[in-house]
Amino acid sequence: MDAHDRRKDRGTEALTCPDCRLELQDYLDGTLEKKRSLAVFLHLRDCEICHREQEALSRVFASLDALPAREAPAGFDAVVLAAVPFAAYRAMEPLRRARVPVYLERSFLPGWLRARVTRVSGTVVAVGAVGAWLAGFGPPWLPGVAAAGAVPELLVRLQGLGRRLVGAQKVGV
Amino acid sequence: MCPAAEGACVFDRHQDLRTIRRCKRGEEAAFAEILDRYRGPIYNLCYRMSRSPEDARDLAQEVFIKVFRLLDRYDEEYAFSSWLFRIATNHCIDHLRRNRMRFLSLDGVTGPDGEEFELQIPDEGPEPDTVLERKEAVQRLEEVIADLPPHYRAITLLRHQQQLSYDEIAEVLQLPLGTVKARIHRARAQIQQMLAARSYDI
Repeated sequence: MDAHDRRKDRGTEALTCPDCRLELQDYLDGTLEKKRSLAVFLHLRDCEICHREQEALSRVFASLDALPAREAPAGFDAVVLAAVPFAAYRAMEPLRRARVPVYLERSFLPGWLRARVTRVSGTVVAVGAVGAWLAGFGPPWLPGVAAAGAVPELLVRLQGLGRRLVGAQKVGV
Repeated sequence: MCPAAEGACVFDRHQDLRTIRRCKRGEEAAFAEILDRYRGPIYNLCYRMSRSPEDARDLAQEVFIKVFRLLDRYDEEYAFSSWLFRIATNHCIDHLRRNRMRFLSLDGVTGPDGEEFELQIPDEGPEPDTVLERKEAVQRLEEVIADLPPHYRAITLLRHQQQLSYDEIAEVLQLPLGTVKARIHRARAQIQQMLAARSYDI
């Protein structure tokens, strides 16, 4: 646990100068939690010394971000491409296992959406909403909730089905 | 999916994946595409790590050759850019370790290699003061970055030059997010201290 984690839930209590200095980098990175960011902002507004420190650090950040890019020398690509084993790749292609389109890859969907907890809880919500709707309870937007809840499981299953279909086609060919 | 939790993802993961698959089929144009996309970032990373145009060229070319020969080992669960930057960072750090004596800071006034350092700022004739001042500021900052320990140097460059998010850097360096943040903070603090100690104004 780093210093940031230890301090992150202290809210907007008045900051001391040492505390403010510790938060400055996260503040400038924009990664501070909102209340904490406000506390730093307020401290910087009132404390001339910390304000100067913030300006100095900002200059360092800006200078690092603005370091000029260098061009690779001419002929750079030719040396690399001359060393690539194109023939070997072409020879290996038939041996390489069948690949599926990118959108059917598991990694195409975000991890949180693929997570079992998301899928299970989404399905539970969907089933509950459908049940309540069929039983005649609840507001008219319940089917919408049911549809939204079913989305993660549905997407994962559609991907799986797609992968199987693509695989089956390749075997058939 | 972009691993970045903040800001926009710099590199298109899915476009890369499609190109890599074409590379694996032996399509020459696909290798050229990857080179075109990453030549600049990798060369610049190598340049800032080594501070020598010649070493940077050799290091970057070696990185690409290594990557293009090991494409079958690339795990498509992770972003290609992360894998590439990991190989490049490790390659540069290995290079610095192999040549440790050459890259040790002398006194913080000159670069690791006096002659090469001079070559980095070509004489382009009379220029406005502001341009010269800016060049000097860049020169001073490069000097300070070059004096950072290699791991701090690499992480600073990934963050500020490649504009990678903390999450992306954690994926590149295979480090916990907290460690990445702590290292970046320490690296920046060190840069600020070194600038102050040398009375460098940037």
